[in-house]
Amino acid sequence: MDSEKNGALQSIGKRLPRVDARERVSGGAVYPADLKLPGMVHGKMLRSPHAHARIRRIDTTRAEALPGVLAVVTAADFPELPIGASIPMGETGYDMWMVAQTNMARGKVFWVGQPVAAVAAVDVHIAEAALALIEVDYQPLPAVIDLAAAMAAGAPVLHEHVFTKGVEPRPRSPSNICSRTVIARGDASAALMTAPATAGITVAIDTAHQGYLEPQAVVAQVDANGFLTVWASTQGQFTAELMIGRMLGLPLSQLKVIPLEVGGAFGGKIVIHGEAVAARLAQKCGRPVRIVLTREEVLQGGSGPPAAALIDIAVGADPDGRLTAIRASYHLDAGGLPGLGTSLVMQASAALYQCPNLDLQGFDVVTNKPRTEAYRAPGGIQAAFAMEQAMDALSQRLGMDPLEFRKCNAAVTGGLMPIGTPFPSIGLTTILDRVGAHPCWTDPLPQGRCPRGRGLAIGYWRGTSMTSAGHITIAGDGRPMVTMGAVDISGVRSTMAQVVAEEFGLPLDDIHVQTGDSKSVGYTDAAAGSRVARTSTAALVEASRDALGQLRTRAAEKLQCPPDQIDYAQGRFRARERAGAAISLAELMQATLTDGAVVGRGVSAKLPLGVEIGAHVCDVEVDTDTGLVTVLRYTAFQDVGRALNPIAVEGQMSGSVVQGIGWALMEGFDYGPDGRLRNASLLDYRMPTALDVPPIECVIIETPVPGVPYGVRGVGEVPIVPPAAAVANAIARAIGIRIRQMPMTPERVLRALRA
Amino acid sequence: MKMPVTCTVNGEAHTVLADTRDTLLDLLRERIGLTGSKEGCGNGNCGTCTVLVDGAAVNACLMLALEAPGRDIVTIEGLAPRGKLHPIQQALVEHGGTQCGFCTPGIVLSAKALLDGNPNPTTHDVRHAIAGNICRCTGYDKIVDAIMAAAATLQAGGR
Repeated sequence: MDSEKNGALQSIGKRLPRVDARERVSGGAVYPADLKLPGMVHGKMLRSPHAHARIRRIDTTRAEALPGVLAVVTAADFPELPIGASIPMGETGYDMWMVAQTNMARGKVFWVGQPVAAVAAVDVHIAEAALALIEVDYQPLPAVIDLAAAMAAGAPVLHEHVFTKGVEPRPRSPSNICSRTVIARGDASAALMTAPATAGITVAIDTAHQGYLEPQAVVAQVDANGFLTVWASTQGQFTAELMIGRMLGLPLSQLKVIPLEVGGAFGGKIVIHGEAVAARLAQKCGRPVRIVLTREEVLQGGSGPPAAALIDIAVGADPDGRLTAIRASYHLDAGGLPGLGTSLVMQASAALYQCPNLDLQGFDVVTNKPRTEAYRAPGGIQAAFAMEQAMDALSQRLGMDPLEFRKCNAAVTGGLMPIGTPFPSIGLTTILDRVGAHPCWTDPLPQGRCPRGRGLAIGYWRGTSMTSAGHITIAGDGRPMVTMGAVDISGVRSTMAQVVAEEFGLPLDDIHVQTGDSKSVGYTDAAAGSRVARTSTAALVEASRDALGQLRTRAAEKLQCPPDQIDYAQGRFRARERAGAAISLAELMQATLTDGAVVGRGVSAKLPLGVEIGAHVCDVEVDTDTGLVTVLRYTAFQDVGRALNPIAVEGQMSGSVVQGIGWALMEGFDYGPDGRLRNASLLDYRMPTALDVPPIECVIIETPVPGVPYGVRGVGEVPIVPPAAAVANAIARAIGIRIRQMPMTPERVLRALRA
Repeated sequence: MKMPVTCTVNGEAHTVLADTRDTLLDLLRERIGLTGSKEGCGNGNCGTCTVLVDGAAVNACLMLALEAPGRDIVTIEGLAPRGKLHPIQQALVEHGGTQCGFCTPGIVLSAKALLDGNPNPTTHDVRHAIAGNICRCTGYDKIVDAIMAAAATLQAGGR
């Protein structure tokens, strides 16, 4: 953007409170479970008790006869979508057959907890009682619960239509391996054979959960014309609308989705979970229907957790410490339906190193567990846990300082990314220099009762851009009223108020920002992939300039001079040649209100990527009697391009780090051999409390992205990538042992110590 | 089965019909209509439903509605009468201690229970007091900073 303007920013870059904070601290923020409509009734879903079974028959007659029950639905109440049906999303679209299966099983169940029927009743207790009266005749099938079992020869096949993609010639029989992805250059195996120094690691990572505190909730209402309104907790009202419309066979002109507050999402609220079911129940019973998932439903199979993984990595370097080869295989556990693919994960783990020989192979594998979905830089933390440990081990083998080793091999602007295209502007070397100069790296590690270690890990996330839109109407008092398509999951109402305040030269309090519903604002993709602040900034800068252009024309008329002789600053138009001839935005709008609306429009599509890079340093202590790992100190460095609001940036970074520490040390799904989750409560699935983590120090570095307004990068995803690796590297330096499973629970650490 | 329940919430008497299976949280949210208290887990492990019962921080999902009569119950809606935020709420706003906001009402009430009994806490006291309230967004630092700042404000006589 115009650099002279960036020199003196008024709102952008300031530590300002969120515009919606008062509402949040006083209990006034409305989430879908808080909504109560006249005549509203309650929906509940019946879920599969089997990990893999054929559904022979569903008999709902006894449930329908229960007094208070108003409607029952099964897959028979939804149009059958063909395999491969899709809706628009990003570059590839999104598979609707899978979304439909995730919301209502048809013919077969693929995991414990998959919905098979749903009930609406006047009371939630009656709805629960009715579920027990639905008779489902299942034919149980052999199930495969873990990756190794799913890939074994002769394993029961989940999907007869899935033949491994990326293998030539096309396989003749179906497989649980949905795809094979290869990223290669040079000859990694040959380079490893001759490398003077090599290291490697094989790790197994358990499924975890996004852990949003608000379980999925939805209210659906149908009006007398059949028009459907859905109030949802969603990352994208347009994505939800596409999914609901397709599942119901309803034209998009016959429904709208109103996004309410989102009580945490982290990737888990892109796909609908119950929205279309509530809508079908509402259509069937003629009353508004609310569905709120329980925590057990969220964990057991009612939402999409991130993927478990098996990753094997070998790396080699020359005697000077220059990397010569990276060879890696990534097996990602997609759950019961084909997953997100492995390409981004593979790129993420190898992107930050310059290396002439690469051989990365990824496998997307189905098992009889809940279908997996995105979790904050999906796959990034798993990949870094393996790659950054391998790199750390290699630096030890070389006798090199781990920071120097990374500096020696760091990717640079213009260097080749794993997929062969040149890196856009990145500031990795700057970040590493900052790490080296910081006390978190230079302070000696204080001694403790038990062994202590300091770990370093770096992380990369590509993010995405996709499409955002917004418009700005100028109120009768001259104030900009902003409606954007982006759902606010990261404080984007506040940062966008700052952007528009900056563009108009007005105080922040003069700007009002709201997220529009899917019928009141232009199409906008879901809030995901660290795209929303960047693309909404671009859209709203355009909308601001559009509105100001229209206002300038009006001001020129009022001030009786050509528009190009009008200057605008801080809410006032002035005639350049005539001293004293000026009009404020408020006066201008009051004088011209009946001339028609001023609406500035902006769209961002195909904005350059704002790749995210971070480096984390942590100190840990390992209790050798109990295996408990305590994180003593944690520092996160991140290049954010430009911090629109440092408070918001720190909030994203600290929150991500604590999620990462959670998965690193305590969070993991424990599936029984029957595919049932044995820790489906927040007592047994433990997320970090305030006592489990130290203060997280955030170091913000700003290397603006060229071609992006204000140079904004993605922020919210990459800080979850390095934490598990940073902790693991610290543990290895404390006790000289690498923990090959994640989470690194006390039990696993103790077993490793005693092995 | 439904029964009439009379109780005092935020200083106001309410008489409502409650199902015998309703929790205190159901009573507050569904019968009285105070939706500021949230249900994140329904079995006392996340703290989003924290309210004050006779001054103590309690998980409202673990008490039955029928236990409410005779108790003095304070919810998030009772902390900012006429829109003037309590110093804990004000500090959370200023320090960025609320992100998605789902844990915030519970955090505010746990903090209030702490500061009512221990007006001069250490950061460890604060972390201990909110250890029953999971926050998935902030990483806790800004919440701890806010509660320490609120303690200082209250000590200085602010309200």
